[in-house]
Amino acid sequence: MTREKLQGLESLNELAFTEEEASVMLSVFEEMADRESILASVDTEATEIMVHVMPMTNVLREDKRVQNFAREDLLNCGAERSEDSWIVPRLVK
Amino acid sequence: MSKRIAIDDTILVAGMPATAGSKMLENFTPLFTAEAVERLTANGYAVAEKTAVGEFGLDLVGESTTGKLLGDAAEKVAAGTVDAALAVDLNGSPRRAAALSDVTFVKPTYGTVSRYGVISCAASGEQIGVYAKTADSCAEVLAKIAGHDAKDGTSLRNDSYDYDTALDVQGTKVAIAKDLYDRADAETKAKIDKFAEALRAKGVTVEEVAFDFADIANTAWQILMCAETCNNLSRYDGVKFGYRTPNYSNIDELYVNTRTEAFNFLTKSVIIYGSEALSKGRYTECYDKSLRIRRVIVERMKAIFASYDAILAPACKSTSYQAYDCKEAFMKVFAESVFTAPASITGMPAVVSGGVQLMGNYFDESMLLSLAKVTEGV
Repeated sequence: MTREKLQGLESLNELAFTEEEASVMLSVFEEMADRESILASVDTEATEIMVHVMPMTNVLREDKRVQNFAREDLLNCGAERSEDSWIVPRLVK
Repeated sequence: MSKRIAIDDTILVAGMPATAGSKMLENFTPLFTAEAVERLTANGYAVAEKTAVGEFGLDLVGESTTGKLLGDAAEKVAAGTVDAALAVDLNGSPRRAAALSDVTFVKPTYGTVSRYGVISCAASGEQIGVYAKTADSCAEVLAKIAGHDAKDGTSLRNDSYDYDTALDVQGTKVAIAKDLYDRADAETKAKIDKFAEALRAKGVTVEEVAFDFADIANTAWQILMCAETCNNLSRYDGVKFGYRTPNYSNIDELYVNTRTEAFNFLTKSVIIYGSEALSKGRYTECYDKSLRIRRVIVERMKAIFASYDAILAPACKSTSYQAYDCKEAFMKVFAESVFTAPASITGMPAVVSGGVQLMGNYFDESMLLSLAKVTEGV
């Protein structure tokens, strides 16, 4: 891991580290690289991936319009709102 | 009189603030209640309070109202402030807290309790569990919250969710996970030895077995947990709910400053590490490899359970934690999770009692709770 690559990950995840935090994070990657090397010792060539340990079912509902929550309650969850919308900065310049 | 239950702050209760221990959700009040809580209140239990957790349950044991590193819910159960508590076991935090406070905690088989209404991080491993003073009390509450929920795609459709804490343990076999035992400090080893002796006195055969896959299980689980957390926490952007930075002049600054100011360093580290594990060039050797290793670990654990009824191991290295700098958190949590990761990555049940951990095969909660019960008060 390099500082440049780390900056790419910060940007991708909408985060910004201070230089001190970046230095700590780089050392985390270094330590984890040592530990990750143990994974290569396991032969998984013939092993299928296991995303979930138990069977899953798709959660479906009837194809009908429903309103589970009042619009007013949902709008109030946001940090800033107008009459009928959440307010965000201008997206198109 | 209703039994009083505490609910950890990553589980939603309509009308009660749910912060998940994060500044990101400091003013968030949910509009609906988690299925597990609905089932308890429908059965006459009363929500007494929410209990503090470390940010999104990612740290060692969570914040404490007294400033000690014990875990809020575990402390309250130990003190008798509440009869029981629900907590999300994401990366072993409640199991460690239960061991430190000497209360009982059951993390059931993955899919047993609905995760509807949980503030999710690592969906493939997190599971709601129960703290109480005794195995009987844990079983009583677990029986009320377990069962299929159509709202949760990972919820299982088992016929029965009764838990029997009075199974005959005489003649059963328990394996001490040697590689985990060897890593514990002297006090924790003494607790394991005492627990093992109590079991032997009840006719249980207790013997050591090699557990040489603990580091592999832990590394793979931390990769999966961080990758899933990275994805789940991408929803926090300062727009639809939660914290919004006052320091922005455009949409990019709104996103970046909101997330940078609201997440602590551990959470940010988890997101960044998980994001790297999912990135092009690393996905195959890191994330994909860990998904395959999960199957290997399940098979290794099942191989032990072919000969033994339970595995006995520490839940944490020592009997107390010292305060530490948040910047050290990632590696500290990684080191401690070696004890809890096998049950996390496999979704197998675990019970903490008497300061030690019992792990079992899928749906063997009754055996684990019965083994815990016969050692109570010894």
